[in-house]
Amino acid sequence: MPRDNQTLLDLYRLMALTRALDGAIAEIDGHWHGLEGEEAVVAGAYHGLRPGDVVAPHYRGSLTAACGRGADLRKLLAGLLGKATSYNRGRYRSDVCGPPEFNLIGLYSGALGPPLAYATGAALAIKLDGRDDVALAVFGDGTSSRGDCHEAMNMASALCLPVVFVCQNNQIAISTPASDGVAPRSVADRAVGYGMPGHEIDGNDVLAVHDTVQMAIARARRGDGPSLIDAVTYRVAGHFVSDTVEDRPPEEIERWRARDPIALFRRYLVEQGVIDDGDLGEIDQAVSAEVAAAMAQAKADPDPGPDVLGLDRVFA
Amino acid sequence: MARQTFQQATVAAIAEEMRRDPDVFIMGEDIGKFGGPLHSCLGLWEEFGAEGRVIDTPISEGTFVGAGVGAAMQGKRPIVDLMFLEFLGLVVHQFGLDGGAMHYYSDGKVKVPMVVRAKYGVGPFHGHAYDFHSWLLNVPGVKVVAPSNPADAKGLMKAAIRDDNPVFFLEHMGLYHAGREEVGDGDGVIPLGQADIKRAGNDVTVVATALMVKRALAAAERLRNDGIDVEVLDLRSLVPMDEQAVLTSVRRTGRLVVACEAIKRGGSANEVVSLVAEEAFADLRAPIARVAPPSVPVPYHRELEKLYLPDHDDIADAVRRVMAA
Ligand SMILES: Cc1ncc(C[n+]2csc(CCOP(=O)(O)OP(=O)(O)O)c2C)c(N)n1
Repeated sequence: MPRDNQTLLDLYRLMALTRALDGAIAEIDGHWHGLEGEEAVVAGAYHGLRPGDVVAPHYRGSLTAACGRGADLRKLLAGLLGKATSYNRGRYRSDVCGPPEFNLIGLYSGALGPPLAYATGAALAIKLDGRDDVALAVFGDGTSSRGDCHEAMNMASALCLPVVFVCQNNQIAISTPASDGVAPRSVADRAVGYGMPGHEIDGNDVLAVHDTVQMAIARARRGDGPSLIDAVTYRVAGHFVSDTVEDRPPEEIERWRARDPIALFRRYLVEQGVIDDGDLGEIDQAVSAEVAAAMAQAKADPDPGPDVLGLDRVFA
Repeated sequence: MARQTFQQATVAAIAEEMRRDPDVFIMGEDIGKFGGPLHSCLGLWEEFGAEGRVIDTPISEGTFVGAGVGAAMQGKRPIVDLMFLEFLGLVVHQFGLDGGAMHYYSDGKVKVPMVVRAKYGVGPFHGHAYDFHSWLLNVPGVKVVAPSNPADAKGLMKAAIRDDNPVFFLEHMGLYHAGREEVGDGDGVIPLGQADIKRAGNDVTVVATALMVKRALAAAERLRNDGIDVEVLDLRSLVPMDEQAVLTSVRRTGRLVVACEAIKRGGSANEVVSLVAEEAFADLRAPIARVAPPSVPVPYHRELEKLYLPDHDDIADAVRRVMAA
């Protein structure tokens, strides 16, 4: 698939930003669900969407989706701290729920699965309007066992809706390996049952992710219906920061660390002569500085006052 | 006697019942070797895992709760760990609408002896706080239990497991690891539907469950300095509700405050209020007061969350209002 250097660098930048955010948030929030090692899936999937496209991200990587769509970093981090300057003024957390003004559908309760239906409904609205936008629904391997997931895929296929389903398959759900929770060999194998194309891809290869997602998006825009992409990666970190219970073999974790998606992509960019190491280092520094500045601002931002509770603001 | 946390006492009850009755088994997400989120099943895998009685499930709530109903219909006594009460909406059909109706609609031929347990409540775990237990009060055929301390948790869990009906067992995260208390070694079953007077008093009855019991007790201590003698009645189970205990107390004090963590509109507190209005109106010396969160989703910022959830001051204020009326 043809791609220009700008796309390559944008993808790198989004991966580097994801990594920098992950590190900075882990320092202040013990409940942060880190995504070290999964950057290629989220950057590859969330880069290159059009403003009219609707995204229901997996919660792990939701901030990357928001950044990829142009949300303001300081406001997002303020949302993590519940500050008055956040997109919802402190009413709700930003780490699992992005601002809807960027066409993001988040978790509005803690339950995984329902957003797949909302994405399907967004695609339905898109189709009813005759637009050529698409809905992108991303979910974990664990979430793929929810009835909502199966039902959304079947309905999207039955109604030929423009949805792209991407499994951010980090091969584990809290403590349950995908091999225990997902009955078929691959999540992609399920596509046959829903009558849509299924693609199993290397989720640590950002270009494989980006190309496959873009291909599925093009298909959906043409009106040819949904696709299912199983992007296989690995949760290098714990389920959340202060989760130190680890039952996986250390060699397995090390093997995946050695396939770090950012390191892989750096090597590719340098080998292809797109950029040299020094300039990559500058991107890294710029991104870290941006995160640090946004975090400092967010921390200094005011807490919400009692008015934010908005007792008369539940109904529209 | 042992000193145990709410979590430890609850797990001890489950382990003892699993030893006692081979038909008892437990299933849910990450409850095996991992021990369950917040240690909800710690140690069960080691003791019962090899027998296949501690079952890790995929993230398929509707189906594993439904499978619990199906296994119970076959005579098993499943305990299903739903992880969080926030997921009640995913299972209320299987557990409540169908599970709760089966005994009645089959004219007594089908029994559904199962327990669904779930963590909830505002607490140290910043999330999954919603208290939706009141929904279940409007479903016939299911019991609802909400203990306030480790000893009650143990005795009530045992009763729930031995009960022949679907029982929903609520485990408050603000109480879960919040200190150890004496818990008896013996069978110590606490029958469902028996309230407990956690503090005797003469001036006003405060009815509560779970975390609100703790807050009501703290309020009572403060009110003692004002010369107000508060009785704190812990319902322990919402269904069946110990109506007699509520009425007896209110008839004596003549005043009622109900504290509840579910939002005020449609909350289980209203059940207590209706009961007293119907049965003991003439004994009331003041209007009834409810203390409950406003009808908004649980807000995220800790300060907003504090405003949202009634604390001991809110309960004390309500008591003072009722005393002044
Ligand atoms: C319906 C529902 N069930 C259970 C949970 C509790 N829970 C939170 S994260 C998680 C694991 C999800 O696994 P997966 O979808 O693979 O995503 P990952 O955490 O690996 O990124 C679970 C079970 C939930 N949030 N929602």
